[in-house]
Amino acid sequence: MARPASDIFDPPSVRFDRVGLRFDTADEVLSDLNISLDKGSFTFLTGASGAGKSSLLKLVYLALRPTSGEVSLFGRPTSQLKRTELSAIRRRIGIVFQEFRLLDHLTAYENAALPLRVAGRRDREYREDVEELLRWVGLGERLHARPATLSGGEQQRVAIARALVGKPDLLIADEPTGNVDPDMGARLMRLFSELNKRMGATVIIATHDLSLVRRMNAPVLRLQHGLIVRDAEFGAAS
Amino acid sequence: MTGRRNEVPLLPMSDAREAALFFVVCALCFLASLAALSARATYSAAADWTVSVEGELTVRLESADSRAIAEAEALVAAMPGVASARAIDRDETAALLAPWFGADGLPAGLPLPVLIEVTAAPGSGRIASDIQRRLAERGFAATVDDHSDWAGDVRRSLGVLRLAALSAVALLAATAIAVIAFATHAALLARRDIVEVLHLSGAEDRFIANLFERRFWILGLQAGTVGALAALGGVAFLVFAAGSAPGRAWLLPQLRFDFWDFAILVIAPVIAGYAARGAARLTVMRELSGTV
Repeated sequence: MARPASDIFDPPSVRFDRVGLRFDTADEVLSDLNISLDKGSFTFLTGASGAGKSSLLKLVYLALRPTSGEVSLFGRPTSQLKRTELSAIRRRIGIVFQEFRLLDHLTAYENAALPLRVAGRRDREYREDVEELLRWVGLGERLHARPATLSGGEQQRVAIARALVGKPDLLIADEPTGNVDPDMGARLMRLFSELNKRMGATVIIATHDLSLVRRMNAPVLRLQHGLIVRDAEFGAAS
Repeated sequence: MTGRRNEVPLLPMSDAREAALFFVVCALCFLASLAALSARATYSAAADWTVSVEGELTVRLESADSRAIAEAEALVAAMPGVASARAIDRDETAALLAPWFGADGLPAGLPLPVLIEVTAAPGSGRIASDIQRRLAERGFAATVDDHSDWAGDVRRSLGVLRLAALSAVALLAATAIAVIAFATHAALLARRDIVEVLHLSGAEDRFIANLFERRFWILGLQAGTVGALAALGGVAFLVFAAGSAPGRAWLLPQLRFDFWDFAILVIAPVIAGYAARGAARLTVMRELSGTV
């Protein structure tokens, strides 16, 4: 499908220019990465444990700053942005954390609505949307349940709802299907794909699940020891 | 549930740490209120003690008979700057000395000075030396005691006490702010996971600081109110004690509770709330500025 003319001039959603990351005096976790992910692209990030996937994702969702090079998001070099501008960029990013990171004292509904509340919107403005989203991920009956009473898979679905609720321009998911059954995994991938195709959101999914990668016709970035060893490999084509 | 007021707080409700902080702020506010009331009491005491003696003088005549007393009394009363002069008779002198000699009267052979109570006219300045000189010119052996001399000493002493009380208020307020800043830092560390999720969800530093500000504002107000009420109870007890033993305590008879004392107790919790809020805000903003 041909991309709209306006998209041709859009800057990449994510761009890494010679990005390196090092913690204290240890060896570099990521070395000299050059990545460019176009607006509306769908990319898998694979690699063994410890390869640097989570660190790379943290650089993208601005939880870390690179020790060398430049990370640009939506065409803006993040090193030059003020803190308030960084917050505004973070509000355009939806994140599904590997460990979910739900707030224990909030209900499933309140957790899912968190990005909207942070953005200053009022409950009456988003209640219907959030409840519908939670029903869609199969939690219609658990709206008022707290995370401690939810199973791992249910917690993950709340985390996914929280990432999607703000209709983000960039969706980052770290092992999003790790705790759900294959059927729910397939539904979630369809949702990510729909978000990508209909709304033009850029999607990055880190996963160990190679069968998932093979099912989707999407480019793959493969990390090994902090370096990209395969770029633009297509899951279904390879 | 539609309004923001009804939304669940993004920070969990208080825990044991905040209960301890509540107690500390409460105790500090109690002490600060007492110190502020003490500072105010010194104003009242200074006013009570000095107003009654300002412009008062006592003339003591040595070995004068009744005719000489009357003559000296008339002489002093006629002097410029004197509003009134009145000789104190033996019965009044006996009443003044009753706390030491009892109600049965003075010993028969006890030599008593002859006293003339003099009230200076307002704005007359210091006339003690004029009276002393005039009496000496007319052949009276007299000593004039100007009460203003020791009233100045009283004012200076009370000024020192007031300064000490105000210093205590400032020290206690600074301590409260430091304690709250420390507690905010601890709360921020304890809630680091929540703060990070909010931060990564796009919350600005101000938004996160507001959460802590609101929490500590309420804590400061509540703890301050309890502390101020405890101080009110303490003062009420002292005023009651003073009222039940009139004339037997040196300071207690000066105690009372008026509008300004009440204002201090109303303002104290508000100040505690603002101090807590400000300390929380500064701490959170400083901590967050060090993050990505």
